[in-house]
Amino acid sequence: MNTIDSPGTITLLPPKAADTSAVSKSTSGFGDMLASMLDKVDETQKAGDQAVARLQSGDAKHLHEVMIAVEEADISLRMFVQMRNKALTAYEEIMRMQI
Amino acid sequence: MDILNTFRISGSALQAQSLRLNTISSNLANVETTSTPEGGPYKKKSVYFQSTPLTFQEQLEGNLQGSVQGVQVSKITEDPTPPRKVYNPSHPDAGEDGYVEMPNISVLEEMVDMMSATRSYQANVTSIKMAKRMAMKALEIGR
Repeated sequence: MNTIDSPGTITLLPPKAADTSAVSKSTSGFGDMLASMLDKVDETQKAGDQAVARLQSGDAKHLHEVMIAVEEADISLRMFVQMRNKALTAYEEIMRMQI
Repeated sequence: MDILNTFRISGSALQAQSLRLNTISSNLANVETTSTPEGGPYKKKSVYFQSTPLTFQEQLEGNLQGSVQGVQVSKITEDPTPPRKVYNPSHPDAGEDGYVEMPNISVLEEMVDMMSATRSYQANVTSIKMAKRMAMKALEIGR
C-alpha cells in the first residue's frame, strides 16, 4: 500500500502534463474544432447510410437499430448546422463593425 | 454525447423486448406441439433479463455520474413444470394409458405476457422520442 505514496509514482506526472498541453494546442483553433466536429457528423451520417443499406438488403437484424442510427445522424447534423449558423452570425457581426 | 447514451440504453431494452416477443410467439406457435427433436412435448421458454455487464471504464463513469445501464437477455430458460396430460388414445404420441403429453403452455398467460412485452417496447420507444425532443429543444436555444 505504501508504494502509492512513494515518490517513484509521482515523478510519472510531468510527462502527462506535457501531453495535455499538446492536445490543447492541436484543438486550440475554432476552425479545428469545427473540422473535427464535421468529421464526427460525417461519421454518423455514414453509419446511418450503412444502416439503411443493410435494412434494404435484408441484413439488418433489428429495425430499431436502423432508426436509432438515422436519428443519431439527424441530431448530429442539426447540431452542426446550428454551430455553422452561430459562426456565420459572429462573422457577419464582425464584418458590420465600424472602423 | 449524453443523448446518444439514452439511445443506446433504450435500444438495448428494445432488443431485449423484441427477443421476449420472439420467445412468446414461439410458445404460442408450439402450444399443441407434442413431439420435439429432444423428445417429449415442447416446453415453455421464457427470457431472463440482466443488466448489461460493464467494462471498467463504464463502471467508473457510472459510479461518478449515477449508474445507468442497459439490459440484455442473458439466457432463455425452459419452464420445468410437468406437461399437461390429455386423454386422446388415437393420437400417435399417446402413451400406454391413452394420455398425450401436451406442452405446459397457457395461451392466456402468453397473451398477457405479450401485452406486457408490447407495452415495455412502447415505453422504451417513448423514452427515445423524449430524448430526441429534449435534444431538439436544446438546439432551439441557439435560434
